[in-house]
Amino acid sequence: MSQDMLMLLIEGLGETFYMVAISSLVSALLGIPLGVILVITGKGGIKESQVFNQTLGAIVNAARSTPFIILMVAIIPFTRIIVGTSIGTNAAIVPLSIAAIPFVGRVVESALKEVDAGLIEAAQSMGATPRQIIMKVLIPEAMPSIILGMTLTVISLIGYSAMAGAIGGGGLGDLAIRYGYQRFRADVMLATVVILIAMVQIVQSSGDYFAHKLNKR
Amino acid sequence: MITLSNLQKVYQGESGAVNALDNVSLEIEQGEIFGIIGKSGAGKSTLIRCINLLERPTAGSVVVDGQDMLALSEAELRDARKSMGMIFQHFNLLSSRTVLENVCFPLEIAGINQAERERKVLPLLELVGLADKRDVYPAQLSGGQKQRVGIARALASQPKVLLCDEATSALDPQTTESILALLKDINKKLGLTIVLITHEMHVIKAICDKVAVIEGGHLVETGKVYDVFTNPQSTTAQDFIKAVVNNKVPDSLVEALSAAPIAGGNLVLRLSFFGETTNEPFIAGLIRRFAIDVNIISGNIDHLQDIPYGTLLIELSGTDEAIQNALNYLKVQDLKTEVIGYVARHAHAAN
Repeated sequence: MSQDMLMLLIEGLGETFYMVAISSLVSALLGIPLGVILVITGKGGIKESQVFNQTLGAIVNAARSTPFIILMVAIIPFTRIIVGTSIGTNAAIVPLSIAAIPFVGRVVESALKEVDAGLIEAAQSMGATPRQIIMKVLIPEAMPSIILGMTLTVISLIGYSAMAGAIGGGGLGDLAIRYGYQRFRADVMLATVVILIAMVQIVQSSGDYFAHKLNKR
Repeated sequence: MITLSNLQKVYQGESGAVNALDNVSLEIEQGEIFGIIGKSGAGKSTLIRCINLLERPTAGSVVVDGQDMLALSEAELRDARKSMGMIFQHFNLLSSRTVLENVCFPLEIAGINQAERERKVLPLLELVGLADKRDVYPAQLSGGQKQRVGIARALASQPKVLLCDEATSALDPQTTESILALLKDINKKLGLTIVLITHEMHVIKAICDKVAVIEGGHLVETGKVYDVFTNPQSTTAQDFIKAVVNNKVPDSLVEALSAAPIAGGNLVLRLSFFGETTNEPFIAGLIRRFAIDVNIISGNIDHLQDIPYGTLLIELSGTDEAIQNALNYLKVQDLKTEVIGYVARHAHAAN
């Protein structure tokens, strides 16, 4: 493999890493509160509100059922407002984040629902505010599950980021399609696939490690 | 300390409204251990949760320490709850926190700084006997130890009232004993008012001063434990007492019993004696005074709230006249004499 190809691979790796890292961060920052809201407004939640919960749930479901490649194109005007352009790596981060937020929301929702209702009751009996219940009971108790859910999200984002090439986002997936597939460069194809497999392995192993470390049950 | 008046709690179930509590009124005094006993589904869980408003009654009033709980705003209610500790059947400890951090939790909620929290909490860990477990996670503790953490946690905010929701129901008998002893100890040392709910009469018998019996959302009987034990009025109370006090007439004897006197037959009596009379040698007195034989069929003597209490099932044999005289003698003694029936002599194989 030539020096140029190696440079392309490194560049692609950097772009993938950048897209996945930023969109993971954004989806965690917005998806975790979304999951919390879904739980506390749900049936038997500490701020129960069925109408609000069902409306929010419907929006989440709609966002999750839109195929990513369509979502990416459909929200181009929104992407332009946020990052000022509709093509390139930064432009790809917007649809990646939008797709991941409802996913994280649902993952966090199911993690929080596993927290024993008795713990919430105990905190209430001590005079805890809803905010204290969320920050000191729900999230810490669900942390191992939340970490595993985030691991799942990061891995999904690595997969989605391959489609970012459609709007000029670059990354390893784009490299594999343009060089490995369209120019019959089997070596490039193999190299990108090996790097992607390694990335997923590292993410999964770190996720498992931290989830296990935090799990005191 | 706690006054519940005409509490009503209606749940809207799928098959219509369910009356979990119906016109329940209770008065719990400062410093006493008050037990509420009922079968599962009787409404006792709802009742104890109405005290700190984890459940809001549909109607009625809840006054704790002079404060009308139902009139409080959310913030005021949270403050009021800080003066009431609660422990649970399944302990409800935070698995992500160590023993020390769990016990500190109510103080953390109250906004007390860490140094102050530890200063307050370490003596409590000492009190419940878990000082050496402070940095251990709940998963590494036994059930009894977990409940001790629960008790220490409930005491951390120096409450005036401790609510115990089936606190020993998930524990084995020995551990139950030790937890009950701890509760009694706390009640004495700290003068804490304790309200506990249970479905086990021996819990009531072991530590309570007063008891309320609840069935189908109604209070069927309330009184001092001693009075309810020695003279239960409701069938529910009688059923519960049977579980801990065995004064049943043996089946073999029941078959031979006749309600009407049998000429030349034996008389079967149940004697219940309380307090001082327990020390009277009245069986010896019977035999000495009258020409009769006394056969003890079954009996037990126990202590309730440190007052001796017992029942004896005895069979008297002798001439009809001697038996009648003995019965008259017993009736003027300071004990409760119940005629169970008569058996023909030798019909019941007297052991």
